[in-house]
Amino acid sequence: MNKTVNINLAGTFFHIDEDAYLKLQHYLEAIKRSFTDSQGRNEIIADIEARIAELFNERVQNDRQVIRIKEVDEVISIMGQPEDYLVDDEIFEDEPQTSYERKSSASKKLFRDTENSYIGGVASGLGHYLGIDTIWIRLLWVLLIFGMGTGILLYILLWILVPEAKTTAEKIMMTGEPVNISNIEKKIKDGFETVTETVSDVAKNVSDSVSNAAKKVDFNKQGNKIKSSSKTFFDTLADVIMFFFKIIAKFIGIILILVGAFALIALIIGWFSVGVANVVNIPGLDLIDIANAGNTPIWLASLLVFFAIGIPFFFLFYLGLKILVNNLKSIGNIAKFTLLGLWLISIIGLVVMGIRQASEHAFNERVIEKQELLITANDTLEVKMTDNDLLRNRYDRHDSFKVASNEKGEKTIYNSDILILVKSTTDSLAHISIEKSADGRDYEKAIERAKNIHYNYTLKGNELNLDPYLSTLSKNKFSDQEVTVILYLPEGTVAKFNNNTKHFLNYRIPSNYVNHYLNVTEEGIICNDCDDDEFEVNIDVPNVKIDKNGIEIKGDKSHLKINDEGINAESEEVKLKIDGDGINIKSDN
Amino acid sequence: MKIENTKAQMRKGVLEFCILSVLKDDDAYVAEILDTLKDAKLLVVEGTIYPLLTRLKNAGLLNYRWEESTSGPPRKYYGLTETGKLFLTELNTTWSELQNAVNLVTNTKKQQEK
Repeated sequence: MNKTVNINLAGTFFHIDEDAYLKLQHYLEAIKRSFTDSQGRNEIIADIEARIAELFNERVQNDRQVIRIKEVDEVISIMGQPEDYLVDDEIFEDEPQTSYERKSSASKKLFRDTENSYIGGVASGLGHYLGIDTIWIRLLWVLLIFGMGTGILLYILLWILVPEAKTTAEKIMMTGEPVNISNIEKKIKDGFETVTETVSDVAKNVSDSVSNAAKKVDFNKQGNKIKSSSKTFFDTLADVIMFFFKIIAKFIGIILILVGAFALIALIIGWFSVGVANVVNIPGLDLIDIANAGNTPIWLASLLVFFAIGIPFFFLFYLGLKILVNNLKSIGNIAKFTLLGLWLISIIGLVVMGIRQASEHAFNERVIEKQELLITANDTLEVKMTDNDLLRNRYDRHDSFKVASNEKGEKTIYNSDILILVKSTTDSLAHISIEKSADGRDYEKAIERAKNIHYNYTLKGNELNLDPYLSTLSKNKFSDQEVTVILYLPEGTVAKFNNNTKHFLNYRIPSNYVNHYLNVTEEGIICNDCDDDEFEVNIDVPNVKIDKNGIEIKGDKSHLKINDEGINAESEEVKLKIDGDGINIKSDN
Repeated sequence: MKIENTKAQMRKGVLEFCILSVLKDDDAYVAEILDTLKDAKLLVVEGTIYPLLTRLKNAGLLNYRWEESTSGPPRKYYGLTETGKLFLTELNTTWSELQNAVNLVTNTKKQQEK
């Protein structure tokens, strides 16, 4: 018992056994592959189908009779094997030669080999293309996966962009064998082709590749002719130049792919660490949120940056692939224009964000708080920064910036942008003036932010303790908040600045004034016992000692000392002394 | 070098000429052309003729018309165009020259062998 199929062959209806149908289908398929469109393939096939229908008609006595494999075999033997359909082009020299384009001479093409695949057939496809055993490509993938996941991304991109070898012709092209009828027939006979493929589907997929292959055959033929007759020097030269151009192009392609891929990977990693971390709220990353005075959502900003940078690199990558692989699947015009639109939108979005961010600094306003200090002339004032755990060891008014929770558990910005100024006054009582300033997009905003700056100091007896940082709630954002502490001291007071105020002091008080008693006079601050050239080097390690007294270096058996007295060098056996008395060299021997 | 290939080449070479000759007097549809050629043992398999017919038609040597048939779908009847007729005349001349030349060469060889 056999299943039958109904077919319409050149307008005539036939019942045909399924196995006979498949055989006929393959036969027609193979013939179809032997022609190109320029040869009038559709017309030829229509004629052949009409003839086969005629031959079947002769063999069918009534409508109920079924075409069996025997009839198909008979018809094939009458019509001839697919090879018999090939007409030698040399008979038809008047055929336009322009159709034999050189560019179609590439023999091997990159496809995904899904027949021998573990995942998407990318590795085995590359194996065919590069002529390497697939195992090495797979090993490389594994290595790349360990290398920051590069392999995974690259694999997915190739998976999307490289077409699958679906048809027999593509499968043959993948291995680099010439596509001819006998090769196709061989593959079909091997059962390579899935029998369920419809004829029209295959025809559509194969048409281009086959016509390319046919052109290639023609080109080879011509090439041989040229070689045998008169291959000139210039032809050879042109070939060599073309070859080098190709190599250079491929090289550029590889570079483009690498640049594009790495940039994309870096971007994705960066985006994940910002985007994802923002969602799960990893501490420390709030910094970005606080700097973001324009109040743009972080996820939006990072997405815009991602697109604005990522899309050009994606195109770079795509271009590289296109140079390397000639039959690359196009991503399609819709995709291209969508990406372009997305990119433009991102750029516009970023510009808008930038303007908003900049406008946040349009106004800089300050609020001033003044308070009297119980310090009068002839008093000695000691100025110190309070010790704090928060910005420990970072008594530097630049770049010291931290976000933490305050006592109430609110997120707070701590910033050590503090400047200390000292001025003399004729008032009898000293006073302190705290100037708080901040930026804002308008006057009110700037004032509000300035008011929201918290800054503390305490006076204990003659000791003034200044906070080394200002604080403000993080909802006020980072908008260039600054505090300037101005000390107005009556003439005749003495001030001493602790070592830890060094970096906060205005340039009028040089760092060598620190830790000295300074006199406040009409002219300003004067130091009576400061060394102008204060000795700044101070090294004291077991064998070497460099300080204001001099240099002392001790070895196992030798000793060098340079100081005000002179130079004194001693080794195990020789002693050298240079001083006011002259040079003295002593030797034990 | 296979003898079959050489034979096929020779046959293919004259096939174009023969197709035009068959259509010289009357239009014919494919089966009729095939019958004539097969009777003359010029064709082993039918497949070869289709690309040839299409080429000749595309070159403007042949044209065709559709004609209703009693036993099935309409048939394609091929006929010679004016260009085709001129082409055929020229080929005829060439063929007789070629025939003479080949005869001359082969006969000379035979005489030498004797």
